[in-house]
Amino acid sequence: MQQYIEIFIGGIAQSAVYCIMAFGLSLIYGTARILNFAHGSLYTTGAYVAWVLTVGGLGLPLVLAVPLLIVILFTAGAALERVVVRPLRSLRDWKMSTMMVTLGLAFVLDNANLLIFGPVAKPMPAFIDGTVTIFGAIISSYRLAVLGIALAVLAALEIFLQTTRFGQAVRAVSQDTQGAAQVGIDVNIIFGFTFGLSVVLTGLAGFLLAPIYLISPLGGWVLFLKAFVIVVFGGLGSTRGAVIAAFTLGLIEAFVVHHVGASWTLPIWLVTLLVVLMIRPQGLMGVWEK
Amino acid sequence: MKDQTAATANQMTRRQPSAFSSLTFWAIVGGLAVLGMFVDDPYMQHVLILCFLWAIVAAGWDLVLGYAGIYNYAQLVFFAAGAYGSGMLAAKLGVSPIVAIPLGGIFAGFMGLLIALPCLRLRGEYIALFTFAVHLAMPPLILKTKHWGTGGNTGLLGIPPIDLFGFTIGPRDKLAWFYLTLAVASVAIYIIYFIVLRRRMGKAFVALRDSEDFARSLGVSDFRYKLLAFMSSALITGLAGALYAHYTTVVTPKILGNEFFLLAMVMLAIGGIGRFPGAVLGAFIVTIANELLRSAGNMRLLLLGLAVVLTVLLLPSGIVSLRENFQRLWRKTRAKQ
Repeated sequence: MQQYIEIFIGGIAQSAVYCIMAFGLSLIYGTARILNFAHGSLYTTGAYVAWVLTVGGLGLPLVLAVPLLIVILFTAGAALERVVVRPLRSLRDWKMSTMMVTLGLAFVLDNANLLIFGPVAKPMPAFIDGTVTIFGAIISSYRLAVLGIALAVLAALEIFLQTTRFGQAVRAVSQDTQGAAQVGIDVNIIFGFTFGLSVVLTGLAGFLLAPIYLISPLGGWVLFLKAFVIVVFGGLGSTRGAVIAAFTLGLIEAFVVHHVGASWTLPIWLVTLLVVLMIRPQGLMGVWEK
Repeated sequence: MKDQTAATANQMTRRQPSAFSSLTFWAIVGGLAVLGMFVDDPYMQHVLILCFLWAIVAAGWDLVLGYAGIYNYAQLVFFAAGAYGSGMLAAKLGVSPIVAIPLGGIFAGFMGLLIALPCLRLRGEYIALFTFAVHLAMPPLILKTKHWGTGGNTGLLGIPPIDLFGFTIGPRDKLAWFYLTLAVASVAIYIIYFIVLRRRMGKAFVALRDSEDFARSLGVSDFRYKLLAFMSSALITGLAGALYAHYTTVVTPKILGNEFFLLAMVMLAIGGIGRFPGAVLGAFIVTIANELLRSAGNMRLLLLGLAVVLTVLLLPSGIVSLRENFQRLWRKTRAKQ
């Protein structure tokens, strides 16, 4: 029993971080209809930036480092949207072009990270040590903290999207871009903002998981693949679907790792992807775009 | 006014095979064949052989991505399927390479069928997601199936050279390989751009890409033609992979790594998707540029990535659009006079 509580809580903590990452991926697709292949590389880059800000170079305390990290990531994301993605919107086959450009960007980031930080994975100390005992199960406090932070971020996002005027504008754009533009919403600002927010989310996920997985130049691809599967399972563009999918798949993963072994993680994700696509190709809450 | 309609018509059909005649095509192939007699530096020959092999891959990808409009990112999986299929048949089962290479292509075509079936239930970006996931999953799969003889991380070693009626074409016989790959590449490219795409099948691909619902209402079976696009593209790419395996005598999971994927993508980005000489031209430019960049060491992949981003941003339709841009400019200046 204790063992299962351990797996369960570990799984939920993991899922919550996947969820943040998938939320970002889904947010961009929902509003701007762009599939961002650089999401995984931005996850790694976020982790590296956090590493430089804290233990790797500047040695800033977390109170200073985290806001700085968020500002850097947001600016980078908004700039990427402005410089790389927006000029392509006017093209006839912009879908193909944006996929190409984000894939190219992913390789640029990966190789830049490899050149700057080297191929050896960087360790990142957990910012909270020790363990907590819940119902007799021993759980590292770091995982609990990750769970708490991730859930808080998700709650904040949900409140932001549902209640604030700007959040409602984001939702309006994702429902109908043209309609939103007609009622006076500046669509470009929303695109820039969601891109920035999405980069912040994936970078934060990179930062939160760094003490667990270490930071390596190509480490983001596995996470990207998982975020992919979550987003497809939940339905492209549906952020609520992504939340449900993340927790379902994260828990499945935790139990599979425990019972079968860690080397089966990726195959299980892929089989899940395949099954989901065969049974319900548009995902749990997705809609086909005509 | 007339000029304007012609211009719009030109724009509407801009992804059709251009006026590039088959005579011009074979003349260029003939020119390359003559060139082969004068190139005696083995390294230059090697680069040209790679150009021909990559031209097949780029053309195969262009068929499915550019003309059929299916966001397939698993193209190198077919290349690897051909390479591993043919290599394992020849190295492990002792099948003669002349038989093994076509079988490798057929195996890749079968993989195309396997990947296409789930894809045909999907749309747009979902296909991109799924095929790219398949691509990412392949290297771990090859490691997992090591006991089947894939060689795991070290790769499949000792793939025998082609043995043709007593003549052995080893990896050192660059001139023989030059002509063999030139012949296969020119036939493959001819089949793709001059036969498949100019017949009913190619028209169906383009119709489904440009207006799926309308094409279906006219009775074009999207299932059949998308499956055909996938499988023919996979088969041709698999042939290139099989030739590559027997040429280098070694296949490692590296052919599914970032470098090869990036190379293939740069070829299409630089050359131009869905416009005939584009992808093939891109294959030549990128293969040669990649060799020239060898001295740049670690910077090479970064530069290739930048090349993708910059060409998509600055020249969204690839270098083949340069000619059209110049022509438009030329017409404008002439009209002013």
